[in-house]
Amino acid sequence: MKPRFGLALLRLFAVQGSWNYERMIGLGAGVAEEPLLRDLQREGNGAAYRGAVARGAHFFNSHPYLAGLAVGATARAELEHAPPEQIERLRAALTGPLGSLGDRLVWAGWLPLTIGLTLAAVGLGAGLWAVGAFLVVYNAGHVALRWWALRAGWTHGVQVVTALRSPFLQRGVAVTSVGMALAMGVALPVAAEYVAGAFPGWARIVLGAAGASGFALLYWRVGRGTLTGLRYGLALVVLALIVGTVWR
Amino acid sequence: MNAFLQVALLGWGTLCGLDLVSVPQMMIARPLVAGAFAGAILGDVETGLRVGLLFELFQFDILPVGAARYPEYGPATVAAVAAAYGARGGFGLGVIVGLVTALLGGSSLQLLRRLNARAANRSLAAIEAGDAAALVRVHVAGIGRDGVRAVLVTAAGLGFAMLARTMLLPALSVRTLTLVGVAGAAGALAAATAGTLRLVGWGRPLTWLALGLGGGAALVWLR
Repeated sequence: MKPRFGLALLRLFAVQGSWNYERMIGLGAGVAEEPLLRDLQREGNGAAYRGAVARGAHFFNSHPYLAGLAVGATARAELEHAPPEQIERLRAALTGPLGSLGDRLVWAGWLPLTIGLTLAAVGLGAGLWAVGAFLVVYNAGHVALRWWALRAGWTHGVQVVTALRSPFLQRGVAVTSVGMALAMGVALPVAAEYVAGAFPGWARIVLGAAGASGFALLYWRVGRGTLTGLRYGLALVVLALIVGTVWR
Repeated sequence: MNAFLQVALLGWGTLCGLDLVSVPQMMIARPLVAGAFAGAILGDVETGLRVGLLFELFQFDILPVGAARYPEYGPATVAAVAAAYGARGGFGLGVIVGLVTALLGGSSLQLLRRLNARAANRSLAAIEAGDAAALVRVHVAGIGRDGVRAVLVTAAGLGFAMLARTMLLPALSVRTLTLVGVAGAAGALAAATAGTLRLVGWGRPLTWLALGLGGGAALVWLR
C-alpha cells in the first residue's frame, strides 16, 4: 500500500469529524482525498491541485464506511485530468447510492446482526467476552469495507459504478438482512428475560403491559412520529415516580 | 467513588462520545460496550452489562441514517452505570440518569453541527481557494469541538449521577426505584421491538425474525 493511500484511509476514519448541515461530510471527504492529490502538486500543477482540493470539500454525503469509494474515484479522476464538471457530477451521482447501500449493508445489516448476537450472548451469561468478541468481529468487517471502498474507487475512477454492481455487495446486503432478522429474533426474548430477571413477579406483569402498549404506540408511530422510544421511556419514568410517591 | 475512577469514567465517556460520529466509529459508543467497560472500571461488570443492555435496546428505536436526529446513549450509559453500581435499587436510578443524559447528548449534537457549519463558513474563502492547510484546520477543529462536547456531556451525566446517588437515592423507596426500573425496561423493550420490526419490514426477513423469536423463546424456556 502506498503511504499516501494509507494516509487517506486513516483520514477516512474521521470523515465525519466536521459534519454539518451545509456540506455534510464534504469537508471530511476533502481532507481524506487531499493526500491522493499531492501528485498534482508534484507535477508542478499547483492550480490543478488547489482546484481539486476545493472541489473535494464541496457538499457530499454518504455512509461513512463507503465514503472512500467516492474519495478514491474523484482523486483518480482529478489525477487523470477529467473535466471539473464531470467530477462534480460524479460526486453528486454517488451521494444517493452510497448512502442507501451503506445504510442497508451496515446500519440495517451488519451492525444489528452482530449486536443481536452479542445481546443474546450477554443475556445467556457470556459477559464481557461477548462484548470483546463483538468489537473484534464487527470491526473486522468495518475496516475491510473501508479499505475495499477506497481501493475500488481508486481502481475504477470515473467508472466507479462498476464497483457498486459488485455481486459481493448485493449478496452482502441479502445475507446480512436475513442474518440480522434471525439474530434480533433470538436476542429479543433472551434480552427481555435478562432485563426482567431482576424484578419481582408483580413488576414483571407491569413490565409486560407497559412494554406491549409502548410497542403498539411506537410501531404505529402514534403522535405523527413525535413519540420516540426515549420520550416514551421518560414518560413512563415520570409516571412511575408519581405512582411510587402515592403508593406508600 | 474516588477521583481516579471519576477521571477514568470521564475519559471513557469522552471516547464514547467521539466515537459516535467523529472518529473512529468502531462502535465503542454502543451502550452495551460503553456500559460493560464502565462497569469494569468500577469493578461491577454485571451492573455495567445490565444497564448497557437496557440502553442498547433503546438505541434500536432510530437508525443513525443521513441527518437523522437521535439521542446519544454512549456517555449516557457511562453516567447511568456510575449512578447504578453498588446501590440498592440502583438500576432505577441508572434509568433516570441515563435517559436525561441521552436527551442532553442528542441536543448537543445538533448544536455541534450548527457550530461546525459556522466555522466552515468563516474559512470559506480559503477552502474555496484550495488551501489544504485551512481545510485540515477546520476539520480538526470540528473533531476538537466534538471532543469538548463529549467531555461536557459526560461530565454533566456524571455530575447528575453523583447528585442522584446523594439526594435522590435516600428520598426514594425501593418500591419506587423498582417501578422506575420497570418503566425503563418497558420503554427499552418497546423501542427495540418496534425498531426491529420496522427494520425487518414485511418481506422475506420477517420469516427469519419469527424463526429467531421462536429460537430465542426456546432458549429462555430451556434455561
